[in-house]
Amino acid sequence: MRDVYVAGIGITTFTRLEFALSEIASYASMMALKDAGITEVDQVYVANMGAPRVNHQTALASAVVDSLSLTPAGAAAIENGPASGGSAIKAGFQAVASGMDDVVLVVGVERMREVNGLEATDFVATLTHPIAEYIYGVTLPAHAAMFTRLYMDKYGVTERHLAMVGVKNQNAALNNEWAHLQQEISLEGILDSPEAMTNNPYVAEPLRFFDACPVSDGGAAIILVSEEKAKELGRPLIKISGVGQATDTHAVHEREEPTDLLAVRKAAADAFEMAGLTPDDVDVAELHDAFTILEIVESEEVGFFPKGEGHIALEKGETALGGKIPINVGGGLKGRGHPVGATGVAQAWEIVTQLRGDGGERQVEGANVGFTCNFGGFGNNVVCLTFEKEA
Amino acid sequence: MAREIYAYKCRLCDTMHYPFRMVCKNCKQNDFFEFDTVPLPKEGKLLTFTRVYNLPPQYEVPTLGLGIVELENGMRMLGQLDIDEPKAGMAVKGSVEIVRQETYDGYYGMVFRSA
Amino acid sequence: MSVDLEKILRPIPAEMAPYEPKYMLLASGEAAVVRAVDRDEIPDLLKHVEPLLHVERDYYDVVASRVYAELLSHYQYRFQDQYVLAVQVDGELAAIVNGRQVTPTLGLSLHTLALRRGLRVGAHAFAAKMEYHFDVLGHDEVLIVAESPIGFRRWMIEYKLEKRFEIPHELGGVPSWALTRELFDAARSSLVVGRRPVPPEILEKAMEAILPPSDPPTPALDPLSATRSKYDPTATALMVERWAMEGGMQDA
Ligand SMILES: CC(C)(COP(=O)(O)OP(=O)(O)OC[C@H]1O[C@@H](n2cnc3c(N)ncnc32)[C@H](O)[C@@H]1OP(=O)(O)O)[C@@H](O)C(=O)NCCC(=O)NCCS
Ligand SMILES: [Zn+2]
Repeated sequence: MRDVYVAGIGITTFTRLEFALSEIASYASMMALKDAGITEVDQVYVANMGAPRVNHQTALASAVVDSLSLTPAGAAAIENGPASGGSAIKAGFQAVASGMDDVVLVVGVERMREVNGLEATDFVATLTHPIAEYIYGVTLPAHAAMFTRLYMDKYGVTERHLAMVGVKNQNAALNNEWAHLQQEISLEGILDSPEAMTNNPYVAEPLRFFDACPVSDGGAAIILVSEEKAKELGRPLIKISGVGQATDTHAVHEREEPTDLLAVRKAAADAFEMAGLTPDDVDVAELHDAFTILEIVESEEVGFFPKGEGHIALEKGETALGGKIPINVGGGLKGRGHPVGATGVAQAWEIVTQLRGDGGERQVEGANVGFTCNFGGFGNNVVCLTFEKEA
Repeated sequence: MAREIYAYKCRLCDTMHYPFRMVCKNCKQNDFFEFDTVPLPKEGKLLTFTRVYNLPPQYEVPTLGLGIVELENGMRMLGQLDIDEPKAGMAVKGSVEIVRQETYDGYYGMVFRSA
Repeated sequence: MSVDLEKILRPIPAEMAPYEPKYMLLASGEAAVVRAVDRDEIPDLLKHVEPLLHVERDYYDVVASRVYAELLSHYQYRFQDQYVLAVQVDGELAAIVNGRQVTPTLGLSLHTLALRRGLRVGAHAFAAKMEYHFDVLGHDEVLIVAESPIGFRRWMIEYKLEKRFEIPHELGGVPSWALTRELFDAARSSLVVGRRPVPPEILEKAMEAILPPSDPPTPALDPLSATRSKYDPTATALMVERWAMEGGMQDA
C-alpha cells in the first residue's frame, strides 16, 4: 500500500449559503486545488447526504467535476449519512494507496438550509430505521436525548457538563473565521440565569437548544496525493496514517449495552492500529459533537479517557485548548456548523490546518499527530482517521 | 382485532430479532426467510425517554414523548409515550396505534402508557 | 395660520402609562435592557434603521422601511398613539419594537426588528411589548401580523396565536392574528422574562446614549440570492397544508 498525503485544503464559510450546491462544492475545491498548486486530478469524490432530497439534484459529482473543468477525471458521489465526508476520504485514500490514482479531490458539501428547519430535521431523521424508529417521529436530537439520559444515570453526567461542552466549542468558533456561529455564549446565560430556560429551551429533554449544532450550509475539500506527488508539490507533508471504519446495528435499541458506541470504539482502534499509534500520541482531535453529549462519549470510546470519565476530563479543562488533548479547537460541529456531507472533510481540514501550524489563535502548540472521528447515523457508521506531520 | 408488532425468531437457533432482518444476527444462516413471527410482549419497563419539541412537519402536536422500553421477554423496542411524567424503570403497557399520519397513509406502531 | 393647520394634522394623543424598564441576561451572559424610547431619541434610531432598508434577506428590507416610516411619522406627529421600545446591550442598539393603542382595550403590534442575531433579542423585545399591552395598558387583545417566516415562527407558532382573519391589519390590510390575554398568560412562564428594577449602572448606560449596533445584519452577497431558492424556504406552506387538513382555510 502506498502512503497518502494531504497536499491541499479548502473550505467555505459555514452558514446559510444562497448559492447552488455545485457552486458551494466548487468554491471549497478551488481553494484546495489552489492550495495544492494543481489544476488536474485523476478522481473526484463528492461527499453529500441530501442533494436528491433537499436540493432535487442527483449525480452531483458529474455537476461538480464539470463546474471545476476537471473533466474527464473520474467522479462519484458518496452518500453515507453524516459520515459521508469521512467515507469519501477513505475512498480517496484507497484510490491513492492502491496506486490506481495519484491525485484525488475529496469534497464534502451540503445545502440544507434550502428548506426550513423542521424539514431539515426530518431529512436527517430519514437515516433512522424506517419501521422501528422513523415512523415514531424519532429525530436525531431524540436519539441523542434518550442516550444522554442513560449516560446521566449511569455515569453522573449533568446538564452542566453538556453546557460546558457547548460553551467551550461555540466560543472556540470565535477563533475560526469560517465557523457558522460567531456568538459568544456563557454558562450563566444558558444555564444559571433566571432567563436561561427561555434563552436555551429544551429541544428534546434533557438536551437543550445550545446542546445541538446549528443547521448549516457549507463545503470543505482536501486533495489526496501519493508520496511522489506530495514531494513534487512541496506543500507541508501531512500523511493520513490510519483509517478505521466500523458499523453497528441500524436500530439503536438493538445494541446490547445502550451506553456503548461500539462502532466508534472499533473505528478508532483500527485507525490507531494501522498507524501504529495510541490515543496518547494524539495532540489535537476533532470529534463529532453534533450534540454536546457526543463529544464526551466519543472522547472515551476513542480511548482518550476511560469509559465514564470524559466529563471529568472536561471539568478539568483537559479537552480545551492548552489541555492534555484539545478537542474541537475550531468549534467542532457545534460552533463551526454541520452541513452533514461536508463535516467529515471539514474535520480533516481543521486537523491539517493545525498540523501545518496555521491555526492562528486556536493553534495547538507543537501539534504533530491529529485525529478525527466522523459519526454517522446514531453511531451506526463511523470513520476515524489519524494524521501525522512529517518533518 | 388486537394489533400486534412482531419479533422474528430464527428457526435454527431461536434468536429473536426486532426489527426484521434478512439474516440471523446470531447464526448468520442464509436460507431465505427462516424466521417465525412472534408477537412482541406489550408489557415492560421504561429504559430511557425524551420529550421532543422540534418535530418533523407532518406532526400536528407541539411535542411528542418517545422512549425505549425493555419488554418482558428482555427484548427492547422504541415507541411513543403517552405518559405525562415518565420515569426510568416505570412499568408500561403498549398498544398498537397510528403513530404517524402522512396524507392518506397511517403507520402503526407501539404507544406506551403507564401500566 | 400654519399653526392652526398643524393643530388639525397632529393626532390628539391618548393617555398611555409609561413602560418600566427591565433587563435580562442573554445566552452570551450580557445584560440586555428593554426600555421605552422618547420621541426626541427617534432620530438616533433612524440612523441605524436606514442601512437595513438595503438588507434584502429575511425581510429586513420590508420591515425596516416600514419601521422607518412609522418612526419618522411618530417623530413628526403623524401617528396615532404609537409607542417605541428598544433593547440595548451595553448601550448598543440590539432591537426595536413598536405598536400602538387602537382603543383602550385593543392593542396593535407594528414591528419587531432585531439588530443583533442569534440571541433571541427580537423574541425578548416582542415579549416586552406584549407585556406593555396587557400589563401596563390593560388591553384584552393585540392584533399581530408577520411579514417574515422567522416572525411567523416566533409569534404565530410560539405563542399559538388565534386567527382574526376577518380584521384587516393596519399593516397592508392583510388578515390579522391575535394574542389574547389568556394566550399571553399561558406563554408567560416560558417566553416572557426580565427583572426589575434595572441595576442603576446598567440603566444609566442604556439611557445615556443609543450606541450603534456593532454587528448589524448586512446585505446578502448576491441580491438575487433570495429568489434563487426553488422551494419554499419557510414553514408557511406547511402550516397552510395543516389547516387544509383541519378542514380548509376559508372557515378559518
Ligand atoms: C424576527 C426577528 C425579530 C426575530 O429575532 P430573534 O428572536 O432575535 O431571532 P434571530 O433573528 O436571532 O433568530 C431567528 C432565526 O434566525 C437565525 N439566525 C440567527 N443568527 C443569524 C444570523 N447572524 N444570520 C442569519 N440568520 C440568523 C436563527 O438561526 C433562527 O433561525 P431558525 O428560525 O431557522 O432557527 C428577527 O429575525 C428580525 O428582526 N428579522 C427581520 C425583521 C422581521 O422579520 N421582523 C418580524 C416581522 S413580523
Ligand atoms: Zn439464528
